[in-house]
Parts: sequence; C-alpha cells; structure tokens
Amino acid sequence: MSEKIYALLLRLYPSRFREAYGDEALQLFRDRARDEKGFFPSLRLWLDLLADLAISIPRQYGYVQPALIGVSAQRRLAGVPAFHVLQDESPRPGALLFGSVLSLVVLSTFWILLGHGAGHAGMRVIASGQLPGSSGFSQHQAPQPNPHNAPSATDRAVGEVSKLDPADRHRVIDGVIANLKKHYIDPEVAQKMADELLAHEKRGDDDAVTDGEAFANLLTKQMRDVSPDRHLVLIYSRDPLPQNATGPIVGELARYREAMKQQNCTFEKVEILPGNIGYLKLNSFPDPSLCRPIAMAAMASLNHADVIIFDLRDNRGGEPAMVALMAAYLFDHPEYWYNPRENTTEQSWTLSPVPGNRLADKPVYVLTSARTLSGAEQFCYDVKMLKRATLVGETTGGAAHSGVFHRIDDHFGMGIPETRPINPFSKSDWAENGVEPDVKVKAADALPTAVKLAETKLHKN
Amino acid sequence: MPKRKLDPLPSAAFQILLSLAGEDLHGYGIMRQVADQTDGRVRLGPGTLYSSIQTLLEEKLIEEVDLREDPKLGHKRRRYYRLTSAGRKLARSEADRLAGFLRVARAKKILRGDYV
Repeated sequence: MSEKIYALLLRLYPSRFREAYGDEALQLFRDRARDEKGFFPSLRLWLDLLADLAISIPRQYGYVQPALIGVSAQRRLAGVPAFHVLQDESPRPGALLFGSVLSLVVLSTFWILLGHGAGHAGMRVIASGQLPGSSGFSQHQAPQPNPHNAPSATDRAVGEVSKLDPADRHRVIDGVIANLKKHYIDPEVAQKMADELLAHEKRGDDDAVTDGEAFANLLTKQMRDVSPDRHLVLIYSRDPLPQNATGPIVGELARYREAMKQQNCTFEKVEILPGNIGYLKLNSFPDPSLCRPIAMAAMASLNHADVIIFDLRDNRGGEPAMVALMAAYLFDHPEYWYNPRENTTEQSWTLSPVPGNRLADKPVYVLTSARTLSGAEQFCYDVKMLKRATLVGETTGGAAHSGVFHRIDDHFGMGIPETRPINPFSKSDWAENGVEPDVKVKAADALPTAVKLAETKLHKN
Repeated sequence: MPKRKLDPLPSAAFQILLSLAGEDLHGYGIMRQVADQTDGRVRLGPGTLYSSIQTLLEEKLIEEVDLREDPKLGHKRRRYYRLTSAGRKLARSEADRLAGFLRVARAKKILRGDYV
C-alpha cells in the first residue's frame, strides 16, 4: 500500500528523472521500508520522504540539461524572450489532469488564505471604534492618530458583497429575531417586534431592498415602529465584522497603552491660571487601570485652586470608570452618578469624599464643543443635572451609544439595549441632541468666557 | 558560460562523494553510509539522492559501474556508483575549504580542540 502511494508521488517528478531513476528510487523506498519497521521508524521515513519531495521536485523542474543550456544560449538574442524546453515529448493526459487538479487545489488554498487575512484586517479597522452604535464609550474613540487603522482599498474591496436576495434577507431577519429574543430587555416587546418583522417580510415590504445599508435601516425602522427605542439598531458594515466585537483586540490595547504613555494619559494641561483658577484640559477619560496615578496627581496639583475649569472641548470620551473617578472630586458625599450603560450598581455612586480633597465645594466650569462626545458628555450631563457645574461652550455632539453590539453575520450586526438604567433626572439623556450648555458661546471663546465668569463669581464671594 | 551546478558544492553532494571514498555503493548503500557518517543527521531521500547522483554523473565526479547483486539485499541486481579521480579531488578541496573554516573558528575561540 505505502509503496503504491510512493509510486504515485514519484509521478510528480519530470518523466526524464522517472525514466532514469524511478525504479531505483522505488527500490530505495522498498529497502528503507523493509529495514525501518515499527511506528516511529515508518513515521520518520514518511517525514523524510515528504521533505525530500518538497526539496527535490522543484529542483528537478528547474533542472536544465547541459545540452539544452548550450542551445538556448546560442539562440538567445538580447531582449527576445526565450523558453527553455525541458522535455521533447508531449505531456501525458494523466499529467495534464494531475496538473489541473493541483492548480485548483493551490488556487483555492490561496483564495481561502486571502479571505482569512482580509477578515483580520477588517477586525482591526472596526475595533478602532468606527463601528456605529458599538458598545459603549469606547476608549478607542480617544483622539489618537493611528495610521494602522485607516481602512485600505483592499479591505474595502474584500468587504464588497453582492446584492441581497430573499434568502439573504430572511437569514438576516432570522438573526435579528434570535438576538432580540435572547437579549432584548422586554420579552413581550421582543416577540411583537419579531412578529412584525416576519409580517413585513411576508407582505413583501422588504422585497425591493437589495442594498445592505438600506435593508438595515428598513428593519431598524420596523423594530422602532413597535418600540420607539433609539438604542435598538441594525447595522450594516461593508467590511466584515469581527467575530468578537465586544472586546478590544490585544494589539489595539497595546497601542492604546503606548499612546497613553506618550500623551500623559491625555491630560494635556494642568495649570493654575491667574486668580487661582485651576485649569485642566483633558482630551479623553482614559482607562483608570493605566492612568489613575496621573489623574490623581493632576487633581492634587489643583487642590488649592478656588475655581476649577474642566476643558472637555477636545474630549471624545473614554472609560465610564474614569468619568466617575474625576467626578468624585466634585462632591463631599457619594453622589448618584448616572451612566446610561449600566443598571444601578455600586459604581453608579461617586467615590466621594476623596481623602484630602478640597475641591468639593469649589465652583466648577466645564468647557464644551460639538466635538465633546460620549463619556465626556456623560460628565457634562451629570454635573449639569446635579447642578454642580456651569457648562460653557457649544452643544455637545450627542453620542450615548448605550446598546450592546451583537454580531449577526459578516456584514450585519445589531445594537440592543440590555439594561434599562434609572435616569434620576427623568429626562431623555444626551443621545439625540447632545448636552446643552448653560452659557452658549463658540467653543473658541469658551475659556475666556469661563475665566470671566469665574472671576466675577470669586469677587462676589 | 552557464554557472556550474556544483559551485558551491551542496552538502548532499559532498556527503555522497565522501560515502563513495571507501568503496563502490548502490543508492541505498550511499544513503546508509551518509546516515552513518553523519551520525544519522543526514538521511537522503530518494529524490535528493538521485538528483545529486544525476548531477555528479554529469559532472563526471562519479561514474556508474556494472550492475551487481548485493548479497545482503537479495538477488536483485543494482546499479553501483564509484568515485572518479575528479570527484576525489573535488571532495578533497571541499574538505580543505571546511578545514579552513574550522581553523578560523578555533582562532576565534568558537571551537575548542586541536585536531585541525
């Protein structure tokens, strides 16, 4: 049996080699097989043979008979392409068949490998926080220029999909319904939405839609018709979605750590302005596990200021835990800290009072812009609702993103609110309209305005 | 002038030349001799072995001798190979070249010993 296999493998060699040495090679195989019996010796024999095939077959095909080298060297003219003919016989039909099967195998292997590689590239792109409606105040939304994250032309080309057919649409609807039933907070409403989606499909309401994005929007609308829930959303992505969209990717995390180190955890400025006004420019709310010491040092250096100005005009969000950590300095008792992503837990209360802190009763101004987003908006919203600070600047961007992201397939995923947090202020939060400032000025004028307000206030006291 | 195939001399070809220095051998004999002289580190597979033999024959470094029976391997007649004087010369110059490396290695204190 094994001799037959090896005889077949020998056919991979050029016929010239087989004719000259085929019998001897087979004989050598027989000799070795006879002498090397037992599991390990025969395993070693086969490993040797496979390695040998891999090395010597290409060499044999690259091998040119000395006579032929001479011929082609004589005939070859400069600039004229030449072919080396290794064999003068025409190929056997069997060899042609074998060649085509081998080419197919190699091509499909390449194809699979390419697809696999592109999947990883897509994962990188999406993990950097470009996915609309993905989970939470992603720290990757912090303003870090990162050339690795730019989606390349190849990423997009691979992500291209053909138009949706009824089977595709049905598959997506099935996925949506399965996720709703599994994750939506209210099972009855989930059932109603599922029924509605299927009814629409049956009536043919979806038939005209073949574009992924349009289909995602249509289903989102159908779901919201049942339950006006703005955190419920179906998303279409041209780039393949990562298998695990909820956790940060290891490489991303390493890059984030490095960026935080270089940027002093995005604490851009910590200084005392004339008039003993403490000024803190913070451009994200970084991960406390990395940045707590820097945050604490920053707040400690402002501890003796009479007023604090938080400049969040370039702050695009970050970790809710850091938002709460910074807020803790503004109160002398634990204060309910509203986070639209979580149910009431211990973390929903600020860790006030902070030992040694003298800022709990000092006036606070928060500078905002249209670029103030997500976690920074949570800070603004909560201090405003608690009447703890005066917001100066522009209305914030409006990005609450409080759904949890669930992948349906390579291109569809959905955001589903899984918790219904208690908003103590019983108003809608900032997801749609952003947070309105108390004093509306252009972002560029926000600092002088706040300084003026602070000075006036200090003089009054 | 096409480049000579055996410049530099591949390790497999050198081992085959060495294996034939003592006596004429058939293919399997060469393979076993090479395994012996390298403490089992080099086990030439059929493809590598016969490709090398093919090239060595063309360069007239070895030659085929008559078909003989190997008493140990039954009655099948096998093709034996013999080292030519050119082959012996090339093997010697390759050994000299390697010995040169050994001297350097010893001078640089990478290799201990005084057998070179």
